[in-house]
Amino acid sequence: MLVLVIIAVALVDGGRGYFLSTATAFSVMQLFATYGLVSLGLGLSLLVREFDISTAGMVTLAGAVAVLTGVDNPWLGIAAALAVGLAGGMLQGLIMTYLNLNSVAVTVGGLLTFEGATSVLTGNQSISYPRMSLALALNAPIGGVLSVRSAIVVAIFVMMALVMAYTRIGRDILATGGDRRGSAVAGVNTKAVVVGVFAASGVFCALSGAMLSYGLAAASPSALSDVLAPAAAGAIIGGVSLVGGRGNPMGIAAGVLVLCVLRSGLNAAGASSHVHDIATGSILIAVAIADAPDLSRRLTEWRLHRQAMRPVPLHTPGNTSQETT
Amino acid sequence: MNAVAQPAVNAVPPNGRRFRLRRISALTLVRGVGAIAILAWALTTPGFLSRLSLFSLLTSISFVGCVAIGMTFITMSGNIMSLALGATVSAASIVFTASLGAGVIAAAAIALLFAGLLTAAQGALVGFLRANPILVSIAALACILGFADLLTGGQRIYPGDEGFALFRSRPWGLPFGTLVFLAAVVIGQIILSATRIGREIMMVGSNRRAAETTGINTPAAVIWAYGIAGVATGLAGILLAARYGSGDMDIGSGYEYRAIAAVLVGGNAIQGGAGSVWRSGVGVVVLAAIEMALRLRGFDDQWQYFFTGLVMLAVVMLQASVARR
Repeated sequence: MLVLVIIAVALVDGGRGYFLSTATAFSVMQLFATYGLVSLGLGLSLLVREFDISTAGMVTLAGAVAVLTGVDNPWLGIAAALAVGLAGGMLQGLIMTYLNLNSVAVTVGGLLTFEGATSVLTGNQSISYPRMSLALALNAPIGGVLSVRSAIVVAIFVMMALVMAYTRIGRDILATGGDRRGSAVAGVNTKAVVVGVFAASGVFCALSGAMLSYGLAAASPSALSDVLAPAAAGAIIGGVSLVGGRGNPMGIAAGVLVLCVLRSGLNAAGASSHVHDIATGSILIAVAIADAPDLSRRLTEWRLHRQAMRPVPLHTPGNTSQETT
Repeated sequence: MNAVAQPAVNAVPPNGRRFRLRRISALTLVRGVGAIAILAWALTTPGFLSRLSLFSLLTSISFVGCVAIGMTFITMSGNIMSLALGATVSAASIVFTASLGAGVIAAAAIALLFAGLLTAAQGALVGFLRANPILVSIAALACILGFADLLTGGQRIYPGDEGFALFRSRPWGLPFGTLVFLAAVVIGQIILSATRIGREIMMVGSNRRAAETTGINTPAAVIWAYGIAGVATGLAGILLAARYGSGDMDIGSGYEYRAIAAVLVGGNAIQGGAGSVWRSGVGVVVLAAIEMALRLRGFDDQWQYFFTGLVMLAVVMLQASVARR
């Protein structure tokens, strides 16, 4: 499907030839670096049949933490940001599993708290990060297509793909998502799995946020809708089922890439930001419809309804066969 | 009424009636003590009881309150929340301001209808296809923001002529918005508890399959829930437009989170089927009081989200752990 989208966008872009160039591939990968990890975190939570809404908040919070603590030593900043992500994710996971709470309730609370903490830490302003050289280094093109940021993201995706496919943890995650109770009976420590998933989601979003802030040489409280919609769309386009238990990191990567390609293409074609929003929103609606449990049932009902409404052919004299209607 | 605490209404608990009474008391006790403690803390804040801060409190209650009333219907129908309500508030404020040329009443009607239909459309996807409500709301959010940006160019819409005199009035010494909010709470409560559609919404939220088997038209109930939510949200948009004298897309940002926080703090069950509009009203008042008290004690606006998130988490956790006992 990724290939289809690339072809489609390239065609739309037509003869201008901006699209199929290394520069565009680079910008696609840069967008991928921004959205990829968030989508991975959100996708993982979807795999266990939960929904981590706090991902967007963690990105901004981690970015702020990284910038604030990393002035002298960028590694310290990243470590602090990752610690915050780990703690935030784990706390939410623990609250969710041990109190048997709905993940949306907890993660909305988490989102508010993270966003609020970001506001408090940044004093509601953009904070600039004095290491311009680091920012440039993070975003410098390697081989024309990747950058340090996107390379790290790609590496993490590959790692997660291996974990999901070949380790017991991966299998446990899918089992927990597919049938929580059944897995628990079968011996899977479902509570630990959920806590682990949310902790991982927190760490991934924190890493994404920290790298983003370093790359921009600034941290700012940013709009929520910017990240949540594409991340969710990416995960579901990538085949993560909303009822849990199905999906894999490579699929998520593909889904995110589709969105990044689309966004890059729109950028190259000179579309303004609202087109991005409408496009992302429409894709998300289409995906939500396609993944809806009752879709096939309703379509069948509609088709049967139409058939039933068709006028019954009249008997003609001389037609002796019995017609069963 | 305290359906969250009682798993089965007619089952005879081991210790007979005494056991059940003790369970009810625990939860209500916690809620009662909590509410009294918070109110006491708020009231002892210097400056809280001044006319200025009380008016400011009442005004902010009316805005968030209307959205919270709407959110209650969505939550009660089993669909957790809608992330698009904030953008709907903004869109309604724009529609209202733009239609003022036709007179205040007509403009209000148009804005309410617009918001109601916009949200009902989301309800159709969720109701007919059982599409994931969070996802649909994220998609709607992106689309609403995108279209609004497209149509308004990101600018503020100013009214053709001033029709706000009605809104600035203070009947019986209370801000007009507060009276609107109170009326909305009463009407909302009546709809939810005393009309057939309200009861159907509650049953769908409580157990969708059982409701279907009983013959309830579940898609219709969900659409109605979303539609009513949209109207309530539109109301908030109108009040905000009147308050600020203009309509723009930032006006409603963040309201969906404050609304769901209010719904949950008030004691409604996030999975739906149990709760009332009264409870959301209480939640709104409690959160607004906390906000006001914090502000008066020197915490800037940045802390608002943070504390709202913490309070929401605390309440949700507390209710869950007490109910489990």
